Amino acid sequence: MSKAGPIVGGIAAIVISALVFLVPFAFIILTAFKDRAQAAALDFTWPASFNLWTNLVEVVTTRNWMLVTAFINSTILTVSSVTLLVVFAAMVGFILARRKSRWNPLVEFLILAGLMIPPAVVPTIWLMQGLGLFGKLHGLVLIEVAYNLPFSIILYRAFIATIPRELDEAAIIDGARPLDVFFRVILPLLWPVTVTNIVVQSVGIFNDFTNPLYYLPGNQNATVQLTLYNFQSQFNTSYNLLFTNILLITIPPLIVFLFFNRQIVAGMTAGAVKG
Amino acid sequence: MKLTKRTLLTGLAAGLLSATGLAGTAYAQTTLTVLVDNSADTVKFSEALIAAFEAKHPDINLELETRPGGAEGDNITKTRLATQSMNDIFLYNSGSLLQALNPERTITPLTGEPVLDRVADSFEQAVTFNGQVYGVPVQPAMGGGILYNRKIYEELGLSIPKTWEEFMANNEKIKAAGKVAVIQTYRDTWTSQLFVLADFFNVQAQVPDFAEQYTAGKAKFATTPAALRGFEHLAEVNAAGYLNEDYGAATYDDGLHMLTSGEGAHYPMLTFAIAAITATYPDAIDDIGFFAQPGDSADSNGLTTWMPAAWYISASSPYQEEAKMFLDFAASVEGCDVITEAVGAAGPYLIDGCGLPEDVPPAVSDMLPYFQEGGQSAPALEFLSPVKGPALEQITVEVGSGTRSPADGAALYDEDVRKQAQQLGLPGW
Repeated sequence: MSKAGPIVGGIAAIVISALVFLVPFAFIILTAFKDRAQAAALDFTWPASFNLWTNLVEVVTTRNWMLVTAFINSTILTVSSVTLLVVFAAMVGFILARRKSRWNPLVEFLILAGLMIPPAVVPTIWLMQGLGLFGKLHGLVLIEVAYNLPFSIILYRAFIATIPRELDEAAIIDGARPLDVFFRVILPLLWPVTVTNIVVQSVGIFNDFTNPLYYLPGNQNATVQLTLYNFQSQFNTSYNLLFTNILLITIPPLIVFLFFNRQIVAGMTAGAVKG
Repeated sequence: MKLTKRTLLTGLAAGLLSATGLAGTAYAQTTLTVLVDNSADTVKFSEALIAAFEAKHPDINLELETRPGGAEGDNITKTRLATQSMNDIFLYNSGSLLQALNPERTITPLTGEPVLDRVADSFEQAVTFNGQVYGVPVQPAMGGGILYNRKIYEELGLSIPKTWEEFMANNEKIKAAGKVAVIQTYRDTWTSQLFVLADFFNVQAQVPDFAEQYTAGKAKFATTPAALRGFEHLAEVNAAGYLNEDYGAATYDDGLHMLTSGEGAHYPMLTFAIAAITATYPDAIDDIGFFAQPGDSADSNGLTTWMPAAWYISASSPYQEEAKMFLDFAASVEGCDVITEAVGAAGPYLIDGCGLPEDVPPAVSDMLPYFQEGGQSAPALEFLSPVKGPALEQITVEVGSGTRSPADGAALYDEDVRKQAQQLGLPGW
């Protein structure tokens, strides 16, 4: 084969991924520019009039500036849940990989159960009410941590198994206490899988819809995904405002990704080529 | 160096945790929360009602919260009632859906309250469960029938049909003029039920005791010719080729667009669509008219009506008195006026003394005569009988797209209904 083959294939791949990823995004942007009547057609046309600014103002000020509250709530929710998830999952994964005991099969069973058994809403609410955590943001943080912990643990445990035990021993001989071994030797080595965890769980928790809907009632507790319901209902939907809202709540994760893109990719490949 | 990094992280984590603790706020004075569905209209008039109520009672503070509509909204309402975390006042459907909320345990009965003297009897019937009345009406009554484009009627010189034959004759002329005669939007399956449900006035005109016999398990859709007509209508408009080509994939929003833009002439729908048209296509609202679904005889032409949602008080609320004051205000002449001012009137109110402004949209004024001349309107079957099968919309899609015969569809629906009646424990099934 000549050199043309791979080039044509590459260009085709770029065009296809551009279509798949950019066209929906262009659709969101175009619809956010339209007025309500034109947006209701939901077609791929150039806006007849440019209303982005009025749409933006209306979306942000709706229901007493709910979107601002929602951004604060979602940020707190995502950052604290992911922080706790990373620390706890890495700790459990470390112990599971390093210390073999009779309890390991039981712990592994619990992790698998957490992955497979769907949580029930009403009993969870009863439990939260009993603990005085229902309808509180930190209560939802704990729920997110509990629901997502098994997946993170599995990621960590597999990775820790590849870190040589001799490193722990060397640190202990040098006088490190158990917590020092974990926080100063092991955790920094886990950076690649930590990045994976942060990315996957942040996206999941930031975009979570059903858990905040059921476990976090009240206007002051709204999260960004719930603000979508301000503009969409069964019989009466304003698509221009809906898509403006989508645009607004898609931008922050996008900016975060653009900024940390290099670190994320570097983090992932750093682990890949290590002997 | 490393130590400072660690303390920094610990501090950050601690700060975040305390921030989450602070976000759960504490309440001051008497604050009640009100849960409504998230349609733009409901939110608008609820906000107006709350503002007017708070101006009258400065010591009470009401806070509005929204929930989605449809199945998700049912889940939220049921979850909150089951966990006693329901808001003090909430909005929910009347009629057969109310029965599913277990009102005896979860909702405060209003029987004997003076506010009920003002509420129309037909509505009280729809919120009564085992002899207790539970709610007051939120909005005006709605009608189920056919929204039509007045411009097309003018251009082609058509008149409002009183019988099904006249309706089909109009359709033939509209089709000949190159327009879509009947808009159907089966992607949103619920829109397919209208020909069957809105035909109930005609059913009752021919078989006056159908609702009772139906609840008792004696009358069936498949074996009552008058009731079967609704299913036949669905099949007829499809067989005659009057439907829009994309009826299988079109949505409710597409349907409204076709109707207002003049692509289509008739759209069988409930009158709440008027609010959506006013919001999305304000220029076209004057082109849209409304008539009741025509039946077999011109003498007994009347409207099938739907009851609006109701305000309920959660039994677990500590503020029963304040909540009752709000219901009393919402179901008063003052309340009606606030609603009319906020969103306009979509039909006649079910509260004594509430009038309508002069400048209602034509589709609404078309609807009023049916309510005024006695005996020209009747509530839909779901407000007279607790039995409504969950699969009707799927069956009407099948019949409406010609994959199942009307008689077969009606028989299948009778079977669907039987399961639900048995779940409710009705005698005779």
